[in-house]
Amino acid sequence: MPKSDLTISLNEVLFYFTRAGFGVNAPIGVSEDFARSNIWAAQNGFDPCECSLSALDHLDHKKSSLSIKFEKDNQISHLFCPEDKVLSSLEASVSCIDWIEFNGLEGKLKISNVDCPFLVIAALGANQCFGVKASWIDQDNHFYEVNFVDDTKWEIISTSKAPIESSHYADIYISSLDSNNTEVPNGKTQTFDIKNEKLEVLNNGVKVGEKWPKIYEYFSRCLVKSSAESRASGAGAGLVDTD
Amino acid sequence: MSSETALIDIESDFMRSPEKVMRLDRMGSSFPTRLSFMRSLIRRMSQENWQFKRIISNIDKDGYGVSVYSAITPKRTYSLIAFTQEIPADMRTDRVIAEVWDATFSLFDGVPTQEDIDYLAKNTPLQEGGRYRPSELVLARANKSLRVFENIINALASGNQPDIELISSVGYLMRTTAVYGSGKFGCADREKIADRPECSGPFQIELLAVYLIRWFTIDLVEELARVRGGEQAVRLDQNISRFIGVGNSTGLGMAPFLLKHPTLIHNWVVAKETALARVRSIETALPRTLEVFLKSLLQVSQHIDEWNVDDEAQSARINCLTDEIQALRMWCEDESNIFRPYPWNGIYQYVEDNFSLECQEMIVSLIIEPHGSIVDDLADTMSTAKIPKFKAAMSLSQLKEVVADAYKWATTIDFSLEESQHHFWYYSEDKLEPRFGSRGVDEGVDQEMPLAIGRDVHDLNEVLARTDEDMPIGEFVMIYPQFRHIIRRIQNTFERPYSEVQDNLLSESMRPLDLLRFKLAFFGASKFDPKSDLWTRISMYQGAPLPEQVQDPNHDCWSFPIAGRSQSYPCINCSCQKAI
Repeated sequence: MPKSDLTISLNEVLFYFTRAGFGVNAPIGVSEDFARSNIWAAQNGFDPCECSLSALDHLDHKKSSLSIKFEKDNQISHLFCPEDKVLSSLEASVSCIDWIEFNGLEGKLKISNVDCPFLVIAALGANQCFGVKASWIDQDNHFYEVNFVDDTKWEIISTSKAPIESSHYADIYISSLDSNNTEVPNGKTQTFDIKNEKLEVLNNGVKVGEKWPKIYEYFSRCLVKSSAESRASGAGAGLVDTD
Repeated sequence: MSSETALIDIESDFMRSPEKVMRLDRMGSSFPTRLSFMRSLIRRMSQENWQFKRIISNIDKDGYGVSVYSAITPKRTYSLIAFTQEIPADMRTDRVIAEVWDATFSLFDGVPTQEDIDYLAKNTPLQEGGRYRPSELVLARANKSLRVFENIINALASGNQPDIELISSVGYLMRTTAVYGSGKFGCADREKIADRPECSGPFQIELLAVYLIRWFTIDLVEELARVRGGEQAVRLDQNISRFIGVGNSTGLGMAPFLLKHPTLIHNWVVAKETALARVRSIETALPRTLEVFLKSLLQVSQHIDEWNVDDEAQSARINCLTDEIQALRMWCEDESNIFRPYPWNGIYQYVEDNFSLECQEMIVSLIIEPHGSIVDDLADTMSTAKIPKFKAAMSLSQLKEVVADAYKWATTIDFSLEESQHHFWYYSEDKLEPRFGSRGVDEGVDQEMPLAIGRDVHDLNEVLARTDEDMPIGEFVMIYPQFRHIIRRIQNTFERPYSEVQDNLLSESMRPLDLLRFKLAFFGASKFDPKSDLWTRISMYQGAPLPEQVQDPNHDCWSFPIAGRSQSYPCINCSCQKAI
């Protein structure tokens, strides 16, 4: 399994990504949501490793933090990392979904300095947050807007030719979708048909590329070294069955 | 639908509570019922007139090679591709860590091409070491029962039927040691097939694979007997072949599954408990149901006589069960005990008040059995694709209430005691085999699987006690993200009260075996044969009709089968009306 360029199933995305999150010390509940977001990304034709490996690396190297705080003034709600670090997209994702669950789509949410914005997008998709718009300008000054139109389609409007999953370090703005009003000047639109994308993946599997072995390495941290004793007694059954 | 068959509300007096049902000792006394997944699959096969064909048999004189067996449903065909090989005796093990098996299988979605078979020939025999595609639905393997396999071939080759007592003592020709579905190792995800009617119930595609494996094992011994014995060889007597099931050896892997799928478990349990409640709420027994029940007590006594195990604890339970069924038969001879209003509730209540859990759960199965007409619809409610969601809008005060109501079993455990946290669960790097460790003895505590439900609730409860109830849950988990998963579970339990095992899974006295038996009974397994507290052998499909028998009138009459004979009382669930 630690080979690159594999085809894996959605259930394997769930299994390995949950434990990969756990492998970089994210709490299990956050890791479960992280894996669900990756399933959504995979269902929509993305290699889930592309975005998630950066987020896991940042946590592992302590470049990002799971610490988060919430503030609200009259105009805007604000999620941010109180430490001098970027906010991990694993935590930004779950807190963003919690905010929508709690507030509905009243008002606007700003999530500051998120390491991997596409993971927040994947969380919105995984939680079926329709009628929502997310937008950001990343460190390369590329403008992205993602519109969750309804349960049949979503779209990316971007000024960048780079894949959305490689966009890093941005303040993300979440609000209700006004479909007639895009904020991206001269952006190109890419539309996704949710049902067809999913069907394609169910019939052909999820292609993971060269970053997969590193995801597997993080996953492997949840495995316990086998000893002669645990091998003999840990599973209860004997080692040979000749009856 | 009469008033007697109205859907029972969870609050009904006849419904057993989660506190009663979801305890390990009762779960570990479970028996299959007519709602079990194998039973509903066989009923579907019969109703939809499934056809079965062996389409390839390319095996040598020793039975090694490749075979393909197809099940043809109204809209689709599923094919079992079986690879058989010779293996060294000392490498034959039931464990996940095995490297070779007598037989390995893939269940293919459709009819495989030669190219598909060639691809699988390079992968299926490797099992976890191979990679599979969404065209493969199930991966499985099995080893021969050395006690029975050769014996039956020799008997048939020489023109004789095999020793029924020997068959009865084992119950199968081969024993599966893993049956993987749902996206394992690249196989198709459950979602690919979930909308198909024949796959809509839980584990239907995995159990179809097992059913075809059973057919394959019987076909294989008959084929080998023909090769060895020539013209004098005979086929198995139909009553004997129907009694041959397929074995399974089940270890710890099933336990994490149960704990990770609380929504599904709720649906299984609530369906079974609703069935029981519907039966208990019947004021006047439906025609002939009491007669069938009384005769089934006799048959079940014979079934128990044939249930012999080495495990001392289970053996004692079986002996006790034998005596209790006998006592119940005597009690039932007094007509005033059963010919009265709410007869089923009376029987159930008498058993609950007087007999062991093993007997109580067997009687649950037996009193549900004659009521197919009022409970079989519940089989359609046992599946779910719902995933518990974290609900940030719930108030902390409501969360506290749910913990107080539904998790008293957890908040009252003293986790400072060593015996309360004696065990931990982990995945070994050895083929990801799930293992059960002892704290302070085994390595791996830091990589403990997150299955410590009781301890996590207990810890959460302590923090909740000192937290302002007005704090929104979303804010609470920003401060305490470590509780996100357990809050999600608790919220799920609020909506689905039968989803949680209400015992400490870390305690020194905990027997994973109880979880295994609970799940296996829902599958429809019988003849539980514990080999330790951590694993058990079972029989599957023992007594079930073979492919050429699924259209027979008695296709649904295989509850608690007895060796070499059909059901010994008239059936009222199908048209057979058979009596010996």
